Amino acid sequence: MTSTSLSTTETVDSQGEWEPKIMAFCCNWCSYAGADLAGTSRIQYPTNARILRVNCTGRISPEFILAALNMGADGVLVSGCHPGDCHYTSGNLKARARWALMETAIEQAGVDPRRVRLQWASASEAQVFADGVRTLTEQVRKLGPIRREWV
Amino acid sequence: MADPVSIAMGQGSSCWGCFQSLVDIHLNLAQVLPALEIKYWQAVADFKLHHLESYEDKSIVVGLYEGMARTEEDIHLLKLLRDKCQVLIAFGSCSCFGGIPGLANFSDIEECYDVKFRENATVTGGKVPSENLPGIAPVVKPNNSFVDIDIYLPGCPPTSKLILTAVTKLLAGEPIELPPHTVCHYCEREKKETPVEKILRPYQGIADPDRCLLEQGYICMGSSTWGLCEGQCVNKGATCRGCFGPPPPILQDHGANSMAMLGTYAPLPSEQIKEQVKDPLGTFYRFDYATSNLGQIRIKREEVKTR
Repeated sequence: MTSTSLSTTETVDSQGEWEPKIMAFCCNWCSYAGADLAGTSRIQYPTNARILRVNCTGRISPEFILAALNMGADGVLVSGCHPGDCHYTSGNLKARARWALMETAIEQAGVDPRRVRLQWASASEAQVFADGVRTLTEQVRKLGPIRREWV
Repeated sequence: MADPVSIAMGQGSSCWGCFQSLVDIHLNLAQVLPALEIKYWQAVADFKLHHLESYEDKSIVVGLYEGMARTEEDIHLLKLLRDKCQVLIAFGSCSCFGGIPGLANFSDIEECYDVKFRENATVTGGKVPSENLPGIAPVVKPNNSFVDIDIYLPGCPPTSKLILTAVTKLLAGEPIELPPHTVCHYCEREKKETPVEKILRPYQGIADPDRCLLEQGYICMGSSTWGLCEGQCVNKGATCRGCFGPPPPILQDHGANSMAMLGTYAPLPSEQIKEQVKDPLGTFYRFDYATSNLGQIRIKREEVKTR
């Protein structure tokens, strides 16, 4: 199995307080542009999210999300085009179906499903994207570090 | 004929199905057996554990380990085989990925004890036996977390043909090269481009014998599973349950990728797919929970409890 462990690099702020580490997958055509717009519009949102651009949410296998959690991400955000608006016609519908399966599976395996979030944010919805990051960060902050469950 | 190759075969917690499959190579045994010098095979040859312990390190060429390491004795045997053998083969899906015994991690050890020993249909007020028995590990960890494994030979069980191919290559000193195709490559059913409209349980409806089972709505994991079985089940009318694990690279997250596969073929709204797939963890992780990302998270959590 993946032996690389990012969990040894805890994120702390200047006061030494724990900060949630959020992995964010954004699709190239909507949410990544939305995140970009959030930046150019100077919308304030938590800095906890590490954004990774993928061409489409349909590219994201649950393996990516689960591997991120296993390697020490405290939460995972997947953000894509609204259903029906996918640049590749149906990628986000596939992502949505996978998400439903994965959400049930992680709950069965005893991982809190509030650590993961799927949202739809178009290229013009900078505020929706920023709010999503804020919501997930606050949710995960309440749950605590994922390592707390096993360290 | 060349000198026989020394071989040791160990069995952990398992059903003996993989070695049964080895014995099932039938008349080919006549060629294979004289080429082997069996150094240890607890169920077949009269060697004891202390014999294996007394061999020099790396003195045996090939070691096969079947099953999971659930008890302390299993863990000892697995480590011993690694010390004594030059090449260690994880033999069967339990040995490669955790297999069915790995599903024990769905529950914690106390829950397992309750069902097995304390309270069940035939026992009330039972006790966990402790005398003259090896201790039980509190959590099932995959074999590759204890030792380095050189060759993974998955399958539940590996087919006799696969075993014969592997053993023949080993005896000739050649690398074992296996085709990387998934089960679908060997499936004779017709595949059309149709998204699945409704996911069915195996008992629902009557399946068309000539058409892809997945397209008809039955959860068949053929497209995410290594086809070393050559499509036995799907060609006989049963869906693939994924017993050969992921295609190469061998330790990718088979369960997660199977969920991705089903989501691709059945892009249904969330409520519908949640309603129709009752048990995603049990369905998609049946043979490789212990080595999957979710399984690893669970193992880390169970280990904390026992500290």
